[in-house]
Amino acid sequence: MTAVYLILGLLFGYILSRSGAADYNFIQGMFLLTNFQLYGIIGAAVAITAPGLWLLKRYGHTISGAPIRIELKPIHRGNLYGGILFGIGWSITGMCPGPILVNIGEGKVYALAALAGALVGAALFGVSYPSLAGVFHLPPLARGTGDG
Amino acid sequence: MGPLILNGAPAIHWAIAGAGIAAVTLMLLYLANRRLGISTGFEDVCSLVLDAPYFRRDAVVGARGWRLPFLGGLVLGGVVSAIGSGGWAPTWELGMFDTTIGWGPMGKVVWMFVGGLFIGFGTRLAGGCTSGHGIFGLSNLELPSLISTLSFMGAGLVTTNLVYRVIF
Repeated sequence: MTAVYLILGLLFGYILSRSGAADYNFIQGMFLLTNFQLYGIIGAAVAITAPGLWLLKRYGHTISGAPIRIELKPIHRGNLYGGILFGIGWSITGMCPGPILVNIGEGKVYALAALAGALVGAALFGVSYPSLAGVFHLPPLARGTGDG
Repeated sequence: MGPLILNGAPAIHWAIAGAGIAAVTLMLLYLANRRLGISTGFEDVCSLVLDAPYFRRDAVVGARGWRLPFLGGLVLGGVVSAIGSGGWAPTWELGMFDTTIGWGPMGKVVWMFVGGLFIGFGTRLAGGCTSGHGIFGLSNLELPSLISTLSFMGAGLVTTNLVYRVIF
């Protein structure tokens, strides 16, 4: 299965790279409302994934015959405040999490600094979860904020 | 739409890119029963060296087996894309950041590290990023994903407009 994940990741990374989704100018253009490529990409992806998901859940199994299992994300105040913080970071770097790795692959040296920042940020979040949980009404630690 | 920073290559059509992302998302579910999501991968990496209780959760440790190779694939996808569009070479090029803000490598490292902090902390507080909330969550009609997607799109809009239309 490791090869499957690697190949799907490669495919995903290639698409992000060649479509502008991992391009600093395209991301700034999206937020300046001067370049609509990213809205098209995300819109098309959701428009196709949504009915696909519905069909898979309704009639489908995985390839091995197991029922489709999707863990829903919990709702909490972090959805809003974390989203705001992430949006600031996406604008600053021109990268969301996947494209950080794609940019590193492309040879963009500064993306290594973005990755370092993201790992430190995630580490700070994890170690301070018990105190953050009170502030943002987060689910119990064992559940987390939602995986994705 | 303008060329990419990467080798000045033309961007592929948005509809093709969107369909490709949908295909990967659905394949990940059909082949492996996994919901697409990248940002927990940061926690997976943290869990290799940190032993705070948060990083010992099943959702983190148990997902390393699929997320780490998937993240490795993302890096490889960037390598293949660079080679296929004119060649791979290390670069500091940053498009309109260079033409408008114009900081050198050290400035960029600080800028990117600070932005990364927001991304790592913010995505984990939100419980997902553009992939987990924006693509999968919205497609699955999940309310937390709608809230997060609106908030990160809104915050990005405000930040970029501040940076490029007010400050610089």
